Amino acid sequence: MTFSFPWVLWFIPLAFIPLFFKEASIQYYSWNEMIPKDRLSRIVAIILKFIATMILLAIIIGLSGPHSRQKEIEKTGIGAQIGLVLDRSASMDDPFAGNDQSKVGEMKSAAAARLITDFVKSRTNDMIGMVSFSNSGMYVLPLTDNKNAVISAVRATAGNALFQTNIGSGLTTGAELFNKVPDSGSRVMILLSDGAGRIDAATQEKIKDWLGRFKISLYWIVLRQPGGISIFNTSYKARDDEALPPQIELNEFFKTLHSPFQAYEAEDPKTLQKAIEDINQKEKKPIKYFEKIPGQDYSTHCFVVAALMMIGLLMLKLIEVRSWL
Amino acid sequence: MVQSTPLFDYHIGWKSKGKHPGRHKSNQRGMGIEFAGHTTLLSYPDPRRIDIRQSIRDPLGEIHVKIFNQRSATPVMIVCDLSASMNFGGKNKKINLAAEVAQSIAHSVIDRHDALGLIGFDDEIREDWLAPLSFRSQHALTLIHELKKFTSTDKSNRAIKDLYQYMPRERSLIFFISDFHMPEVELENCLSNLMRHHVVPVVLWDKKEYINLPDFGIVTITDPESGKKNTLFLRKELKEKIVDSFEKRRAVITKAFMNFDIPPFFVDDYFNATKMTEYFNQFVGA
Repeated sequence: MTFSFPWVLWFIPLAFIPLFFKEASIQYYSWNEMIPKDRLSRIVAIILKFIATMILLAIIIGLSGPHSRQKEIEKTGIGAQIGLVLDRSASMDDPFAGNDQSKVGEMKSAAAARLITDFVKSRTNDMIGMVSFSNSGMYVLPLTDNKNAVISAVRATAGNALFQTNIGSGLTTGAELFNKVPDSGSRVMILLSDGAGRIDAATQEKIKDWLGRFKISLYWIVLRQPGGISIFNTSYKARDDEALPPQIELNEFFKTLHSPFQAYEAEDPKTLQKAIEDINQKEKKPIKYFEKIPGQDYSTHCFVVAALMMIGLLMLKLIEVRSWL
Repeated sequence: MVQSTPLFDYHIGWKSKGKHPGRHKSNQRGMGIEFAGHTTLLSYPDPRRIDIRQSIRDPLGEIHVKIFNQRSATPVMIVCDLSASMNFGGKNKKINLAAEVAQSIAHSVIDRHDALGLIGFDDEIREDWLAPLSFRSQHALTLIHELKKFTSTDKSNRAIKDLYQYMPRERSLIFFISDFHMPEVELENCLSNLMRHHVVPVVLWDKKEYINLPDFGIVTITDPESGKKNTLFLRKELKEKIVDSFEKRRAVITKAFMNFDIPPFFVDDYFNATKMTEYFNQFVGA
């Protein structure tokens, strides 16, 4: 039990004023000692004062805003801690070409958002966090079991895209999601991007280190541009001194990670769906997680109690004798 | 003086020592009809009173004279309680009733040409409510008139113990008007100090104090003298208890007075002068 405005509690002594002050009365009698002792009258007198005190007390406590603390309940369920790292680069706004030219495309980002929404809905006990990235990583949502928040966040990414692809920043930001969150045993990061970017050596080390330390398995879904180079194309040979294309280079880098890694390539929504279903299948381990239950506000209860007691006091006031002289 | 003030008839049960002629038995020699004895003409030279029969019978030939006691006036004091409890009664306060009683007494006293004095007291003997014993009763009447408008505040009746110091030296008739809401000890002390006088306690009780209380309800009453407050939950049971308590109190007061051989005169809602006459006829030997 805590109070939103604890300083109001300083006024509590005021509630005891009715106990110390005499009743306001202008009914003069001749000699009170002629009145025999009467227990019920004493009780009524005490009740009157008590009610007055309780009303003030309830109001003061109500004003101080009492509420219970938010609770965290440990729950066990089947699922994973999933960090979604979504590409928000400008190229995500291109239509999904795939091989099917007849389909005048759904945008890549929209398709991704739709499929991931379905994915999120199908997972019951997961904790899902989200990071999107373009020029740099953007922290969107911490790991949470609140499905609505996740879905809203995913939908928000379906909007207009920004600039370029900085996978390194997205991955480090994504890895940070798992920092300070107890390890449930099943940690997954889903990186969804089109194409790839180069990651400098320092960031590479950082990613390798963090993913290994946090025990995060990485799923990379590449939305392949039509006619683009497949990451699985091992036969690709660079010309003489040219560097390998970034996709292949990135894939090679991911393979060197200490944590499990799996890459998928999606050319159209169907293959994307397949990739996601595959991940859905793989990541089903029992996990422990904490569910947050928000604290309850008790000030209304206090005011209702005060109001009820006021009604009681008014009822007693109604049978008060005003004058009989 | 005439107005419509009811008068009552009173007398005293002892021989007044007053020299002023009046209507009460006296031990003063004078023009009365109460035979007191014989003496010689030389020692009481009043030839009108020569008792021929007694003079003839005297072998020494002395001339005898009959002596009579005259009827004398007697001092009457009105003592009025001015404590705050006399304020009880709303519109028709006890103090108003006290003024009414005092007025009736005063006029009855004036009618019998007796001397009248008045003392008011609360926590002290009130000098401003003191009319010394006098055959010219204007002062007392003025005070009684003012008494009707009087409102006491917070005062108790502690000065009851000093009352006797302000009483006439000779035996007087004292009308003591009060509600006698005071501890018995004080009352008994007061009465024992006033033993040389004849006290007529006029007990003013208001029916609204007990029988005419409301039947049901909550009320917080304040004691006008101590300021103490009590919250009462009035109902049949409590009302019966209160009435019972007053009846007990009536018995206690009566017993306290009867210990001094003075029956109290209870006044409930109004003062009945005829009852007062009956009181004297019944309790005061002529």
